[in-house]
Amino acid sequence: MTSILSLSGVTKRFGGLTAVSDVTFDVPEGAIYSVIGPNGAGKTTLFNLVSALFAPSDGEIVFDGHALHRASTHQLVDFGIGRTFQNLAIFGHATVVQNLLVGLHHTLKANPFTAALFWGPARNEEIRARKQVEKIIDFLEIEHLRDTPVGLLSYGLQKRVELGRALATGPRLLLLDEMVSGMNSEETEDIARFILDIREELGVTVVMVEHDMGIVMDISDRVAVLNHGALIGEGTPAEISANEAVIQAYLGKN
Amino acid sequence: MRTRHFVETYEKHVSLSHNPVTWSWALLLVLALALLPMVASSYLLSLATTVGIAAIGAIGLNILTGSTGLISLGQAGFLASGCYTTGLLIADYNWPPELALLMAGVVPALLSLLVGVPSLRLKGLYLAITTMAFSFIVTHFLLYAEGITHGPYGVRVEDLNFLGLDLATTTGLYTLVLVTAILVTLMALNILRTRVGRAFTAIRDHDIAARVMGISLVRYKLVAFMVSSFFVGIAGGLMAFQFRFINVDIFNVLLSIEALAMVIVGGLGSVAGAIMGAVFIVLLPEATREALDLLPTGVNNMLSTYIYEIRGLLTGLTIIIMLRIKPQGLVGLWRDVQRYWTQWPLSK
Repeated sequence: MTSILSLSGVTKRFGGLTAVSDVTFDVPEGAIYSVIGPNGAGKTTLFNLVSALFAPSDGEIVFDGHALHRASTHQLVDFGIGRTFQNLAIFGHATVVQNLLVGLHHTLKANPFTAALFWGPARNEEIRARKQVEKIIDFLEIEHLRDTPVGLLSYGLQKRVELGRALATGPRLLLLDEMVSGMNSEETEDIARFILDIREELGVTVVMVEHDMGIVMDISDRVAVLNHGALIGEGTPAEISANEAVIQAYLGKN
Repeated sequence: MRTRHFVETYEKHVSLSHNPVTWSWALLLVLALALLPMVASSYLLSLATTVGIAAIGAIGLNILTGSTGLISLGQAGFLASGCYTTGLLIADYNWPPELALLMAGVVPALLSLLVGVPSLRLKGLYLAITTMAFSFIVTHFLLYAEGITHGPYGVRVEDLNFLGLDLATTTGLYTLVLVTAILVTLMALNILRTRVGRAFTAIRDHDIAARVMGISLVRYKLVAFMVSSFFVGIAGGLMAFQFRFINVDIFNVLLSIEALAMVIVGGLGSVAGAIMGAVFIVLLPEATREALDLLPTGVNNMLSTYIYEIRGLLTGLTIIIMLRIKPQGLVGLWRDVQRYWTQWPLSK
């Protein structure tokens, strides 16, 4: 399989602290790829580097021929990368539909002048976007929540809306940062099912940072393990659960 | 009991309102406002004109502060630049008032880049102070660049004819303000329901998520500044027509704070809220005056020495009480009433 995202020698230093140190791995196209590690291992920093929120101190991140280490965050959706956040990053005052419409931002063309007139192309693209949103609502089974302000929903549903918003950008790669933390096992199961569906039905590659070992070991094709910013293991879930260095990092030396 | 829930087409989903009842009420309101000159006294009409101009300014400010979350205390600066643009173009350069009014929007929109670019990384109070500084710079310039702006002598614009409307009459000016206010309302509503408006609210609610969704913060913050100050500038241009003699004194910080009060009391982020806030803040001193008139003559005469202080006090008190009982503003109150009405007799 060809790789869709490749990191080589990625390092991020904040002053004297090295949050991510010399990380190298490839994500195969169409895979479900998990990044795990103890708290403070640098997983989220790694995600922020891939989503161009930070620039790496060293190393290269390439997605489908685009150099992410030189890109601006708002270009990501044009490259085909969607992302969710560890702490909810939804637009709380807006309804579910409005949140999902924001995901379609880069597919629309209206500027303040055409928007003010709301005539012809500006109106047509809004109608088209509204139709598109309906597909995502259908896919994520949130038909009953269309016009509910997202801030009023339960945590699990807010996460689902955030996933929907990332899907609305039409990604080829989806970055999911701790999707299921704080969810009960039923909600976790739902999300696992959605992630599998996203890969099967939409052909999207998924990279996720996760603490829930159940979901990681069950649905991932490959797993990368970080500890103190460094990559200490990479392989299939079976290889990882047998890896000495990983066991030591998680359980400590005896 | 109307549910307002069932919509059959996507076209209706993206329309301003898919409810024919809402449209009929809106039409009725416009009709009533259009016919107002036939019944109202000229004092009432000029009051309505002031409300209309304030509403246009509040709609503009609300796009920046309510929808995009960028607090501005620079309203007076944008109003002043719009007002002087119109006034000077007519008085010194003999421009037709139609074009001069358009430029009242364009010039502040361009000026807003001057404050917008340095403010890109500022939020909250820091931005408020920066915009206030901008306002000071504008009024300072207007006062001291005498060669261009007539400085302390002010600008006089008289005997104007706008597309056949005689602006010297109260009715003519009122009609122009009403039509402009309706156009501005529609444009603001349209902008806010497209990707541009959604980008504004996304920036307000979560700027990092907005960036990840492909929204360029630099671009859309500047767009918000420009759209907002375009509308505010138009309000300033209309002020030139209303006052006929423009002086820099009225464009002080109090005016900016009053504008901010309109937006907050009305309801942040809502066009209807901005209009309600403008009506409320402009008419409140009038209402307190009427209320004081109801008092027995003896008491009234006793109070009359301090009438301005008392009116100010009552105005301030009303705003505080208003915000205490309904932080969502007048538009929140309006929605409560609506809900009560549509769900009657099951409402509580």
